[in-house]
Amino acid sequence: MRQANRRIRLLIAVFALLFLAAFGRVAWLQAVKAHALDQIATSQHREERAVPARRGTIYDRTGRLLAFGERATTVYANPRQIVDARAAAVVAGQALELEPGDLYDLLSDRSKGFVYLARQADPDKAEELKSKEIPGIGFYPEERRVYPQKAVASEVVGYAGTENTGLSGLELQLDKVLAGKDGSETVIRDPFGRRIEVVDSKKVENGRNVYLTLDHSLQRQVEKILRRTRANWAATAATAVVLDVKTGGILALAVEPGFDANTYPNVSRWDEERLRNRAVTDTYEPGSTFKVVTVGGVLESGLVSPTTKFRLPGEIKVGDRVIHEAVARGTQTMSVAQILSHSSNVGVITLAIQLQRERLSEWIKRFGFGAKTGVDYPGETRGIVLPPDEWSGSTIGNVPIGQGIAVTPLQMVAAYGAIANDGMWVQPHLVERVDGQDPAKPKTRRVISEQTASQLTRMLRGVVEEGSGVTAQIDGYRVAGKTGTAAKPDPTGGYSTSRYVASFVGFAPASNPRIVVLVTVDEPRGAIWGGTVAAPAFAEIGQFALEYLEIPPDRAG
Amino acid sequence: MAALLAGIVALNVGVLRLNMKGEQLDEEYNQLVTRHRELEVDFSRKADAGRIESIALDRLGLVRAEDRRYLRLQPPKKG
Repeated sequence: MRQANRRIRLLIAVFALLFLAAFGRVAWLQAVKAHALDQIATSQHREERAVPARRGTIYDRTGRLLAFGERATTVYANPRQIVDARAAAVVAGQALELEPGDLYDLLSDRSKGFVYLARQADPDKAEELKSKEIPGIGFYPEERRVYPQKAVASEVVGYAGTENTGLSGLELQLDKVLAGKDGSETVIRDPFGRRIEVVDSKKVENGRNVYLTLDHSLQRQVEKILRRTRANWAATAATAVVLDVKTGGILALAVEPGFDANTYPNVSRWDEERLRNRAVTDTYEPGSTFKVVTVGGVLESGLVSPTTKFRLPGEIKVGDRVIHEAVARGTQTMSVAQILSHSSNVGVITLAIQLQRERLSEWIKRFGFGAKTGVDYPGETRGIVLPPDEWSGSTIGNVPIGQGIAVTPLQMVAAYGAIANDGMWVQPHLVERVDGQDPAKPKTRRVISEQTASQLTRMLRGVVEEGSGVTAQIDGYRVAGKTGTAAKPDPTGGYSTSRYVASFVGFAPASNPRIVVLVTVDEPRGAIWGGTVAAPAFAEIGQFALEYLEIPPDRAG
Repeated sequence: MAALLAGIVALNVGVLRLNMKGEQLDEEYNQLVTRHRELEVDFSRKADAGRIESIALDRLGLVRAEDRRYLRLQPPKKG
C-alpha cells in the first residue's frame, strides 16, 4: 500500500514538473517572445510593398516614342545569408549573363549586409534566377528608362538616371510631371502566397505622358544633314533649329556631336561638350545675321525707308576703331535694302549711328536679345548684351554688325521668327501638351509693325536671290534669310583670325512664312563664310522640312 | 443561427474569391501594359523614317529625285 502511494506521489510530482515546465514555456512565449513571434507570424502572411509609379512617356508631335519606362527587376543579395558564395555566383552568373567571378567577389564579402548583383536587369532573366530559390538573394521590380530613337533628339530629351529621376534635358525639366508619386499596399496572403485581402493601400499616381512639338522624322533628317555638314567642314560643332513660325513650336533642334542616352551612366563621364544643348545654353557672336535688328529699328522708327540711299565709303571710323567691309570696295551709294542684301558693315553702322546707343539698345531688347526666351528647357542663358551706359566710344561700331554681343541660337531663330510672323514674337517651346493638363499658351509680343516685317522680308529675300545667301535657295520656294560669319573672341584678347562661326538663318515660303531655320557651324575648316558653310545645310533642311510638312510651293521652277 | 453562420461563411468565401480574381486581373493588366509598350516600341522602330528610307534604297532600289520641278496651277475661272 505504501509502495503504491509512493508511486502516485512520484507521478504527481512528475506531472507537476511537466505542468510547471509547460506553464513556464507558455509564460516565456506569451510574455517574453510574444512580440517577436507575432512579427514572424505577421510577416508570413502579411506583405507591405511599395508600388512604384510608372514614369511618364515622352512622345513627339506625331505620337512617336522618344522615352519610356521598361519593366525591369533589380537583383540584390545579403552576403551574410549566402551559404555557398561560389555556387550562388555560378548560378546567378548563368541566369543574369554576368561574370561569375565579379558576382563571387560581391557575394563572398560578408562585411556587407546588402549588395546589388544587377540593377534593372531583364525581368525574364531575374525570374529564372528566382526559380532557383537561393537563400540570401532578393528581387524587387523597377523601371528602366529606354530611348528607342537612340541618339535622335538626345540633347532635347536628355536622360534619366538609374534611380529613374531626370538628370538632363526635358527629363530633368519635366521630372515632377513625369515622375508621378509612388504608392504602397499591405496585403494578406494565404499559405500558398495568394492574395486574400488588401488591408491598406496608398494609391499610386503614375507620371503623366508628355507630347513635344518636335517631329521625330524631321529631327532625324536635320541631325543627318548637320552631321554631314560638320564632317565636310571638319567643324568642332554644329547646331540647327527649325521653328514653326505661327506657333513657336520647335520642330527640330539638333546639336552635333550628340550622344545616345541609352548608354547612361557612361554618358555622364563623357566630355561635357557632347552633353550640352548648345542651342539653348551656348552663346556666340552672331555677326551679320544681327544686322536686321538695326535695319528693323531704323525702318520702324521712321528714320529711313527701304529705298533711302546713302553714300558709303569703304571704311568707317567709330571711336578708336576703323571698320571695313568684309570685301574691300571704294565709295558706293546703297539703298537701305542694298545695305542689308550686300551685308554692308559701313552701311549698317551708318544706320545705327542714326538710332544712337539708347534706341539701338532698346531695339536689341525688343528683338529678344539679352533676355531668356523662357523656353521650357533647363539651363537657358540670356546671352551677353551690354547696357548702353557701359558702351565705349566704339561699341556703336561693333554691336550693329553682331560683334561684342553674344546671343543663343534660340534667341536668333525666335527673332527671325518675329519678322516672319508679321512682326509678332512668339515664345519658342518644346512641350506641346502634358496629359491631363491644358496646353500652355506661349507668350507673344509685337516687335515691329506688319509693314516693317514685310519690308525686312523683301530685303532678306534679296540676300538669298542676289546677295551673299544664294546657296540657301530652295527649289519651288521663295526664301528670306541672312548669312553670318563671325570671328570668335581670342582668349588672349581681340578676335581670332582662324576660328569662326558660320551661320545662316532664314524662313520660307517668304510669301507666307511657315518655318524658320537656323544653322550655325562652329570653327569650320577650309571655308569660313556663312554663305558657303551654313547656307547649303539650311537649303537642305528647308527643302526636306517644307516637303515633309506638305507646305505648298510659292514659286515655279 | 445556422443560416446566418452559413451566410457569413459564404460572404467571406466570396470576398476571398474576388480578392484572388483582383490579383489575377492586376497581373493581366500589368502584362497588357507591358505588351502595349512593346508594341509601341515595335511600331516606332518599324515606322522609323531612316529604316523606311534604307529599305527603299537598299531593298527596293529606289533613288531620291534629283531634279524637282514645281508647277503652279491656277484654279479655273468660274463661268
